[in-house]
Amino acid sequence: VSLLQSRVLLVDDEPSIRRALRTTLSALGFDIEEASGGEQAVSFVRTERYDAALLDINMPGMGGIEACRTIRRLCPRLPILMLTVRDSEDDKIDALDAGADDYVTKPFHVGELMARVRSAVRRSHATQDDIDTVITIGDIDLDFEGRLVRKSGGIIHLTPKEFDLLYCLMSHSGKPLTHARLLRSVWGNDYGDEVEYLRTYIRQLRKKLEDDPSRPEYLLTESYVGYRFSDTYRKTSRGLRTVTRND
Amino acid sequence: MADTKTRRTIRLVRGVGAGSAVTLFVSYCAFRLHFNLSTAGSIDLLIVVLIALRVGFWEATGSSVVAVGCLAYFFAPPILSLRVAEPENWVALASFELTALIVSRLSDQVQNQTRQAVLERSNATKLYELSRSILVLNRQEPPGPKIASLIAANIGVDAVAIFDPDLTRLYTAGKCVKEDEELARSAYFSDAAAHDELKAYRWRRVLRSGSKPIGSLVLCATDLSPLMVDAIASLVTAALERARSFQKESRAEAARQSEQLRTAVLDSLAHAFKTPLTVIMASTSGLLEMNHLIPPQAELVQLIDQHGTHLNALMTHLLRMAKLESAEIRIRPEEVAIPHLLDEIVEECCGQLGEHSIQVHIADADLAVSADRQLLSITIIEFITNAAKYSGGNSPITISAQKQAGRVVISIHNKGSVIAFEERERIFERFYRSPATRHYASGSGIGLAVAKKTAEGHRGSVWVNSDETTGTTFFLSLPALARRECEFVAK
Repeated sequence: VSLLQSRVLLVDDEPSIRRALRTTLSALGFDIEEASGGEQAVSFVRTERYDAALLDINMPGMGGIEACRTIRRLCPRLPILMLTVRDSEDDKIDALDAGADDYVTKPFHVGELMARVRSAVRRSHATQDDIDTVITIGDIDLDFEGRLVRKSGGIIHLTPKEFDLLYCLMSHSGKPLTHARLLRSVWGNDYGDEVEYLRTYIRQLRKKLEDDPSRPEYLLTESYVGYRFSDTYRKTSRGLRTVTRND
Repeated sequence: MADTKTRRTIRLVRGVGAGSAVTLFVSYCAFRLHFNLSTAGSIDLLIVVLIALRVGFWEATGSSVVAVGCLAYFFAPPILSLRVAEPENWVALASFELTALIVSRLSDQVQNQTRQAVLERSNATKLYELSRSILVLNRQEPPGPKIASLIAANIGVDAVAIFDPDLTRLYTAGKCVKEDEELARSAYFSDAAAHDELKAYRWRRVLRSGSKPIGSLVLCATDLSPLMVDAIASLVTAALERARSFQKESRAEAARQSEQLRTAVLDSLAHAFKTPLTVIMASTSGLLEMNHLIPPQAELVQLIDQHGTHLNALMTHLLRMAKLESAEIRIRPEEVAIPHLLDEIVEECCGQLGEHSIQVHIADADLAVSADRQLLSITIIEFITNAAKYSGGNSPITISAQKQAGRVVISIHNKGSVIAFEERERIFERFYRSPATRHYASGSGIGLAVAKKTAEGHRGSVWVNSDETTGTTFFLSLPALARRECEFVAK
């Protein structure tokens, strides 16, 4: 699939933001369709096919989260990225719970936005094929059948819970997973608030997998929201750096 | 008091005199009409009972004694002598007196009960009227003066004084004299005995809600019972309490509304700033991404982009601090392990500190506090960015955490930029910027004020030490939590 020909639905109530994004993203090879609100976006999604949707959270009328929920019902596979502002962690969690694939905090760099869109599109295609039992990201290989994890070829010993957590994160690489979602999928449905468990396990995993556990490259913290396993990119103070992915 | 006693005695003497005269007169008539002892006795008994019913017990008793005298003198042989010869007549006279006493006692009791019932009914009506009037009082107006005048009007007391210690006001109605006012005030302050009847028909009560005194009441009236005074006192207490809770409610409502307004203003400000910044940064980063610019153009666009990012960071910080500063800090406490928290903070900060490196020293891996994780990390990040801002070049920032006397003390140390002794308190004040640095270091003057507020919200404190040789160290002290080993780690 050529990512550069992706059709992207852009939903924001601010005309100036739509204009800036349409201009830049079109110039960078995306095919952009605009909607000014949730209702319009939903009606577009009913009739047209898109490769991804960018949804602003704060919109008058049908807000972004409601629109996300509706679109997710209509198109279960469409990658949806939410545009949020800082200091709205609860909104981000709501958006992920409503079925969003990722979120980007305004203001953002177009490079970061494109990388996230690509990653989400790739994930949506990947899930259409059968999932490999071996996931390789960077220099880390996870073999689900053999319950084995290797880093640069050397075997890393993980406890069963550490393995489950890593598998959950790596099988959704690039996608932020909320604390509650991770706890439920690794510990069971009765869990959800025990963030401290998660922190302990993430710290253990970082010690075993990261070159510098205090500056993780794979197991990234999404402040107050959850964790994300980096897939192809990593944000540094100098901008965007690509991490190789062998798939 | 003595006055009433004399009056009562005079009335009694008069009643007894009149009753005796009537008895004497009737007995004499009966004698002239040649009635026998039993007939005359019946007539006298009738008179005594009538006196008991109409006038009172003691008057009837007086009359009955006179009647016995008359019967002995006029009718019991020997006639016209007080001597009674025959023993059966003694019996007759004695039973007459006894009957008279019993009957007058009973009738007097009935009468008293009736009088009491009437009085009670009228009191109940008065209290009902009073409580109804108090209930419909206008809640916007201060209740004190109205309640005082309502008591004066409905209960019919001569004077009322209510002391409200909250406003240190005295509300009076009726013919209130200086003495009553003083009495009301002193009753509250000396917390006088709850039941207290004073001379000259003055009553006073300390008004209590539960056990807490909320005011005092002085009443001046001739015909009040302690029960009635108690009832009035509890009505006044209820009315004052009601007015106060209404006031508190409306004050809280006003505060809530202004808080809502402030939040709405800050939110719309945030939106107003973020939209143009998003457009600017999408455009600049888009231009850079397209890769068509010649080097000087790229250089300029990068400059715009960098400063857009910086402006965004400043705005985000300022708005967040303004929000925290204006609001009542709402703390959602959880158990926070300090080593984990510091790890996360360092991870979050390391991109924003330029050349500064961060070193973390934790004395005890089990250090933990019960705190709002987000607020606590905002506070520590505030100290770290502050340290980076005011220390020169690439000097390292050292974060230490240790336990001291039941408290967790986190310190953030940097070299350089000494804070003058007289400024060490003031830098935690809102909008205070040190005159020495305000020209070269950017800042809103809110961050440290928020840090202080957050610390105090957690029953903790912040302070700073600073001198030329060791540098500057900010301290944050919070109550320590006895950290229990998490079970899942043991597994």
